[in-house]
Amino acid sequence: MSHLVLEGLGKSYGSVAAVDGLDLSVERGEFVSLLGPSGCGKTTTLQMIAGFATVDRGRILLDGQDLGHVPPSKRGLGIVFQSYALFPHMTVAENIAFGLEMRRIDKAEREKRTLDAMALVGLKGFSDRYPRRMSGGQQQRVALARALVIKPALLLLDEPLSNLDAKLREEMQGELRQIQRSVGTTTILVTHDQQEAMALSDRIVLMNHGRVEQIGAPDSVYGAPSTSFVAHFLGKTNVLTATGDGAGVIGIEALSLCLPAVPRGLVRIAVRPERLVFAAADAPGFQARIISCVFQGAHWLLGAESAAGKLTIIRHNDGAGVPAEGESVRLAFAAGDVSILPQDLSDGVAP
Amino acid sequence: MKRNGPLALVFHALFLVFMLAPLLIVCIVAFTPEGYLSLPTRGPSLRWFRAIFDYPEFIRAFRDSLWLAALSSTIAIILAVPAALAIARYRFPGREAMTALFMSPLMVPHVVLGIAFLRFFTQIGLSGTFTGLVLSHVIVILPFALRLVLASSYGIDQRIEHAAVSLGAGTGTVFRRVTLPLILPGVVSGWLLAAINSFDEVTMTVFIASPQTTTLPVRMFLYIQDNIDPLIAAISACLIALTAVMLFALDRLFGLDRLFVGSGKG
Ligand SMILES: Nc1ncnc2c1ncn2[C@@H]1O[C@H](COP(=O)(O)OP(=O)(O)O)[C@@H](O)[C@H]1O
Ligand SMILES: [Mg+2]
Repeated sequence: MSHLVLEGLGKSYGSVAAVDGLDLSVERGEFVSLLGPSGCGKTTTLQMIAGFATVDRGRILLDGQDLGHVPPSKRGLGIVFQSYALFPHMTVAENIAFGLEMRRIDKAEREKRTLDAMALVGLKGFSDRYPRRMSGGQQQRVALARALVIKPALLLLDEPLSNLDAKLREEMQGELRQIQRSVGTTTILVTHDQQEAMALSDRIVLMNHGRVEQIGAPDSVYGAPSTSFVAHFLGKTNVLTATGDGAGVIGIEALSLCLPAVPRGLVRIAVRPERLVFAAADAPGFQARIISCVFQGAHWLLGAESAAGKLTIIRHNDGAGVPAEGESVRLAFAAGDVSILPQDLSDGVAP
Repeated sequence: MKRNGPLALVFHALFLVFMLAPLLIVCIVAFTPEGYLSLPTRGPSLRWFRAIFDYPEFIRAFRDSLWLAALSSTIAIILAVPAALAIARYRFPGREAMTALFMSPLMVPHVVLGIAFLRFFTQIGLSGTFTGLVLSHVIVILPFALRLVLASSYGIDQRIEHAAVSLGAGTGTVFRRVTLPLILPGVVSGWLLAAINSFDEVTMTVFIASPQTTTLPVRMFLYIQDNIDPLIAAISACLIALTAVMLFALDRLFGLDRLFVGSGKG
């Protein structure tokens, strides 16, 4: 039995389904991200787990127990909000100790655990500070310590880092991951930032319009997106039109690759920009023309046109140089770099 | 911050003078020795301050006024807090109607209210009682209490309360430990404004008060109809001094700019 199970979870606001039949199992100690564009139902899902939004359809099971009739104050979950939601009239120590106080833990133990939590998030010596006298990053640490100090069954994080500037955000990501590993609390992170989800999670749940598009480890979801929505939302991608033989071969011009199960006729496929390589003139490949070339330090971002569609190519700065704008090139990719996309064109993202 | 231009400074200065001059005159008159209102005068005297103590009905009216203000503003704030929280956070049928009802005493002239209450209290046997005074005052000062509590209720992030709930706090604890402290500036300033309005009310109270239970302003109003001497000025000077001391104490405790403007020290 998984630690947390969501079964056909659904919620509607009026006629709009905010969350629509969500199934998910989370193992103990796992770090799972709900990733998707704004408005796709991530916060609503988290709020239902926390008990602040009523569940219209489906069930939430924590350790096999149905949370349906457990009030939010009795669920024992730690929550961190984007807005921090610290108690402004309490000091850092009072904020962190609040949950322990509610649990009637005696003073000595309370103080010890508060100090431990402050040390865990790197806030030693801030006991008597008021939140308004702290930076955003520090306030976020207080919120994290306040949630963790009660040893929650689940840690729920709703866009916890999106109010921080880019550099601090990256720093906090590393720290968050390391803290989560050290305490081992099962964690669900809500984010619209694909980079953050990939950097932090054991598994990513990609959501769109209240539904799950794909669930998997970051590298497997990135490497093998199952829908064109996923392919586009997670990193950059190229959607190309190839020709399938209905058996096991697809081809673009002189390039032909063997794949298991290929539909017949025109086939939409996804290939990541960093997997496109330049081929020699006599090697299998297809023709393209470079139309833009942007230098980004560690790599170049090339734009190209081909009969199979527009392309983005990432070329690592390995000293070999890149073709100039307007130059014709020959491109190729390997069979393992291809994801075959569903062939209906109505899944929200144009090719 | 932008600096005020010379025209604005002149305007502010005139405004202050216009506001403060009457208070200053009253205070000066209070110290005159003559038996009538006169300025300039022969020299300061405490004659009229001593005279206050020869009128126990003023002392009693003052005490009743304080009681009335404290009691009715406390009741008003106790009604205003749950009403404001409900209006600020929930969308329920009758929400607009409830707001309008609570605010309606602001629209009705106090003379009309006075006559209506007089009639009504006579009917139900409350005329001339302290209970009647409290009841009518609660109704006219409720809009002030509600307005200020409402302003601070709209501002609070409900996720702060959610955080408290997730940490194990029950409904009562969340209110006591989190919600109330967050709306406290609104509650204190609402209470204060309500108390001042109650203490100050004459137009309506004149109809409802009886010789046995009356308020200081009504007593003063009745007195100046027959007498013109600096006694009233002396009483007014005492009230001004009392108000100043109270405001000073509040400023020390909470910061007045925070109470009434919602910013400043905090
Ligand atoms: N309290 C609410 N009332 C009405 N609609 C809501 C409410 N909360 C969320 N929604 C709607 O539900 C959908 C999902 O919202 P949300 O879960 O907040 O998305 P996300 O967190 O992924 O950005 C959105 O279309 C949003 O407009
Ligand atoms: Mg959200």
